[in-house]
Amino acid sequence: MLHIGSVKRCLVTHLKLHIGVRSSYAGYCIKALFFSKRWEFDGLHGRYHEMAPNVVPMDYTKDPDVKLPMQLIINMPELKENPFRERIVESFSEDGEGSLSFNDFVDMFSVLSEMAPRELKAIYAFKIYDFNTDNFICKSDLEKTLNKLTREELTAEEITLVCEKVIEEADMDGDGKLGFADFENMISKAPDFLRDLLKTTMTLFFHTLIKLST
Amino acid sequence: MSTSERIKAIQKMPGTMKKKREIRFVSLSSFALQSFRRFGNSLSEYFHLLPLGHKTLKIIGANFGTSVLSYFIFLKWLLAFNFFSFVINFSFITVPQLVAAEPNNLSFTGLELFTGAGYFQETVLYYGFYSNATISKTENGPSYNMQLAYIFTVGIYFVICFLILLFSMAKSFCRNFINPQIHSGIASKLLCIWDFNITNEKAVKLKQKNISMQIKVQNTGEVLNFSATERVVRIVIHLVCWVASLGTAVAACAGVYFLSINNLKEVVKGHKNDLESQAAMLVLPIVASVLNTFMPFFYSWLGHLERFQTPGHQIYVTITRNIILKISIVGILCYYWLNIVAASESQCWETLVGQDIYRLVLVDFIFCLLGSFFGEFLRRIIGTIVCVNLGLPEFDIGRNVLDLIYAQTLTWVGILFSPLLPGIQMISFSIVFYVKKVSLMMNCQPPRKVWRTAQMTTSFMFLLFFPSFLGVLSVIGVTIWRLKPSEECGPFRGLSSMYDAVSEWIKILENYTASKWVVWIYHNLITSELFFFILSVVVLIITYLYWQITEGRKTVIKLLQKQITNEGKEKRLLLEKLWELQRKTENPSMPRGQGQQVSLIVQVLLFQLRAWYDFMGFL
Repeated sequence: MLHIGSVKRCLVTHLKLHIGVRSSYAGYCIKALFFSKRWEFDGLHGRYHEMAPNVVPMDYTKDPDVKLPMQLIINMPELKENPFRERIVESFSEDGEGSLSFNDFVDMFSVLSEMAPRELKAIYAFKIYDFNTDNFICKSDLEKTLNKLTREELTAEEITLVCEKVIEEADMDGDGKLGFADFENMISKAPDFLRDLLKTTMTLFFHTLIKLST
Repeated sequence: MSTSERIKAIQKMPGTMKKKREIRFVSLSSFALQSFRRFGNSLSEYFHLLPLGHKTLKIIGANFGTSVLSYFIFLKWLLAFNFFSFVINFSFITVPQLVAAEPNNLSFTGLELFTGAGYFQETVLYYGFYSNATISKTENGPSYNMQLAYIFTVGIYFVICFLILLFSMAKSFCRNFINPQIHSGIASKLLCIWDFNITNEKAVKLKQKNISMQIKVQNTGEVLNFSATERVVRIVIHLVCWVASLGTAVAACAGVYFLSINNLKEVVKGHKNDLESQAAMLVLPIVASVLNTFMPFFYSWLGHLERFQTPGHQIYVTITRNIILKISIVGILCYYWLNIVAASESQCWETLVGQDIYRLVLVDFIFCLLGSFFGEFLRRIIGTIVCVNLGLPEFDIGRNVLDLIYAQTLTWVGILFSPLLPGIQMISFSIVFYVKKVSLMMNCQPPRKVWRTAQMTTSFMFLLFFPSFLGVLSVIGVTIWRLKPSEECGPFRGLSSMYDAVSEWIKILENYTASKWVVWIYHNLITSELFFFILSVVVLIITYLYWQITEGRKTVIKLLQKQITNEGKEKRLLLEKLWELQRKTENPSMPRGQGQQVSLIVQVLLFQLRAWYDFMGFL
């Protein structure tokens, strides 16, 4: 069985070393760990473990450096049918290649849960739509997004027309691509996107995990 | 680390202000506050583990999307509401009456469950059974005035309902309100349309097809321009359809009215308790439910006939017509009850009204189940085996939500006449939840039409509040203030109106010096028109002030947007100037000194640009 003390130590070290966007939410998880029951955390670790039982250890005392490749993660039932699954996994992976360590895994589902703050969700939504990771949503990113949304049923002229219209409408400072501020402005016009649509139906007890920490 | 050192360490770390605030919150929250929050969270966790819980809703959301999920969330909310109503009525009105109950001499036959008459007439189910006496268990013990209890419980319950609905509606409006001035163009649609909840492959494919259709329509829709004759033809078609729908609604109401007058004659004339007369009592509710079930199909057919410009338009118009039908049926029934039944020579008119409402609620529940069976189960069998072109049925969200609102309106009207009605409605809503869920999973496919969930949820809340609840309030108001209660039954027997119970109580209180303040409040605040006039004026002034503040903020938003555009242009201009200068410094024909000067200027410009970037990032 998983030793909870070892996991706590592992995540505390992670928090000290990598304070930043993602681990601020791991902080919420750590608070939960100090008070939660063992079975809740086991559930999340169980899901991570069952994807590759030979590789993921049950014992995290030695702070193992285990990363699961993207192929395994995108076959999870919560993500399998999502057209943006590769981008989601890449946004949360530390090395940008798509392989997730357990901390990244926790981060991903914590941001995609109902309890994550709006600002955090907006940042990750921007990352998901930014296919070439240049911190701007440029025309090629929009074209790729559109292709994923419509399963390539539109003709090339329609796609170009739509992308041009989007940039014309959303770009406020006139640089031909959408920065994070433009994106946030657009999102504020559809208030239910961050709250209701940008989440995954992860198991019930993970939801409890986040609730206990806030 | 001490608190101040920790704060300093957080301030030094990279990252935006918001993340630092989060980290600070995480590390500095107090232990006591957290343990209190933990307790509250574990309580709500156990509430969610109820069968009507989280997991069911998540599965529905995963397979059918957020739009169908909103129906089930609305149903769950109404269920909780009815539970609250039942608890209040049961504890304050029914339990004391049960303590001092008179024995029931009538016999129980199974038919009472459907007609509500017979054995049930002499039970706590109806108004007529409640006594107007002051109940006390022991001599000189604590006494309980049933008259005051009845009117105060009903009154305070409606006030609490009003507040709950008002706050829910305001909260929903606040969260989902989209500024109508900013045209929701294609950008927000593209970036905010994908529902990450869906995990079902078929649902994903349908949604993608939906999105591509929407984009195609948007691309071609702007070119559409009608000629004059075509426009006239369209207006005529619209008018004809509206006349047809309003005409059928009026005809339905007239039919219900004449049927109910007939019904009353039968009930008042003879008190035969045989099967025929009992069955005759069920005709009115069955007719009303049949009208409520089949007219919406007629309206959908009319909606298909008129070719609307957008599918959203069609949904709104169809829902409006359905609302008009349902509200008119409830309205005509209330008129019949308050004007005809109350003035009839029956012994206990309130119990008659209560029985009518009980039958209506029951038959409506049965028709809901039947509708699910025929509309979804049989339709699926027809769609998959007999006529494969039709395909699987879709879950009609609009029609189902309006059915819920209709049922809730009937319950509210009936609370005064049959205090246990919320309990019955609670049971019926639970059964409907399970049946609808099972039918949905087994028979339906994910919706193909566009359904703007956030706006529709707000509209449904608004519908629940505005025609439904306020209408019920006016009906209850008329009943309490204007109508004469029956002489021989109920807690208000002998009074000239139900409200007189309160005025008589105030008169009694005037004799005690200790309760003079209650009498003062009653005379100067509750019954005085001047007070309400002043209150309305104050509320209007506050509303006007808030409106002006909103207008001012809109202007500020426009100005800030202009400022952002200007800053962007300035940035590009500066960058161009910089490049020019850089090219000049690389030009070997320039003398040394000037070159150094130019590179200094370049450095200053770069520094300014960087400062400006930091400022913009900080914003």
